[in-house]
Amino acid sequence: MLITTTSAVDGRPVQEYLGVINAQSIIGANIFKDIFAGLRDVFGGRSKTYERVLEQAKEDALRELAEKAQALGANGILGVDLDFETIGSGGSMLMVIATGTAVRL
Amino acid sequence: MMKSYFGIYHISTGAAPAECSVLVFDKKMSIGYRTADGANHTAHWPLQEVQASYELSLQQTRVRHQGAELFIEGKDAAAFIGEMQEEIKKPWHKKKGSKDWTRNLLLLLTLLGGLVLLYFLIVPWLAEKMASNVSVNTERQLGDAVYDAMGLSGSEDTAASFVLNEFFAAMEVPTAYSVRVTVVNDNVVNAFAVPGGRIVVYSALLKQIQSYPELAALLSHEFTHVNKKHSTKSIFRRLGSKVFIGLLFGRFGSVTSVLINHADDIKSLTYSRKLEKEADIEGLELLMQRKIDAKGFEDLFRHLQQAAPSSSLPEFLGSHPDIDKRIAYIREASKSAVIEEDQRLKTIFEKLKQ
Repeated sequence: MLITTTSAVDGRPVQEYLGVINAQSIIGANIFKDIFAGLRDVFGGRSKTYERVLEQAKEDALRELAEKAQALGANGILGVDLDFETIGSGGSMLMVIATGTAVRL
Repeated sequence: MMKSYFGIYHISTGAAPAECSVLVFDKKMSIGYRTADGANHTAHWPLQEVQASYELSLQQTRVRHQGAELFIEGKDAAAFIGEMQEEIKKPWHKKKGSKDWTRNLLLLLTLLGGLVLLYFLIVPWLAEKMASNVSVNTERQLGDAVYDAMGLSGSEDTAASFVLNEFFAAMEVPTAYSVRVTVVNDNVVNAFAVPGGRIVVYSALLKQIQSYPELAALLSHEFTHVNKKHSTKSIFRRLGSKVFIGLLFGRFGSVTSVLINHADDIKSLTYSRKLEKEADIEGLELLMQRKIDAKGFEDLFRHLQQAAPSSSLPEFLGSHPDIDKRIAYIREASKSAVIEEDQRLKTIFEKLKQ
């Protein structure tokens, strides 16, 4: 399975377009992560705790996207786009939406 | 965790090979392939059931599962599948992420422990410290506010109040407070002290009192509540815990109502048992110094017990120590007491009973 943000793959022409697919992952950082991130906000520096949450949400979304593509008989996803949003009261949860075109290369 | 590959899939040994896409996750792998008739299929293999090895001669990773075979270019897939299989076999506490959970749990426990400590030890301690520094004047104002908030239904028996004040003055107790005894007409057998020196005795209790040592015991007990700032301390303690809860949960509205709420509590004498015992013991000392019969306490307790049979509650549930225990420690403490009749107190008491 080839997952790429480009609209074409060098040397491998698209044989079949199988449609636009999307997947989302909504993830809440727990209260401890919020506390640690809050400390980072005060003292400055990178918040590894939130970064890990974001990474997890992105992985989950891409994993779901790949499974959907596979179920369609695709062996590639082109033009993948990742959207990041905060939702929930006070923006306490993270949402990642992955969109792409399932293709057969 | 996910990795994706391209591969060649044999649905069974010797079957025609099919190009496939392979997704390897942390617990399973899925193989998407298309059969000759153009239909799409997906096979799901649990990782603990597959055998993955790198075939050096083919320069390919070979994965087998129940007679089916899969070939993936290179050795990365074999390494990744092996790594995931190792992770599955690990006991829960060694798995990735479990360290985070342990740390969070510890943090939570520490946080809770800290809050419990703060609420049950530090806040009451601080509140008592503050209460001890309140001036007599402020206490008096506080006491008046509490007394007004009570809105006692019964009218004051001014004649009895006058005699009781005379009686207390005759006891000659040295104090910074100006003690005022108020007798309120009510059929509740009770008495209580408010901060700043006011002692309220209900007429029903006064009727039950049969001797001057008993009255002296009652007044000295209530006086100790005043003198030791028991009411003020419990108001501060309660205020402290309300502020703490308010800070924790962000609701401050309830704090202002403490005074009024507390008025009812004082009426029903909800000091802690520790404070009650202190009032008993110190009150007894006042009696003994004045050579008044300590049996007054015993009689008082008996009368209170008769009036409130509900004190069949186990001691730890009640605000006061168990009556029998109170009698026992009073007896113990007054063993060597010298008793002399105090004519002056006796005369005043008889005036009350006329």
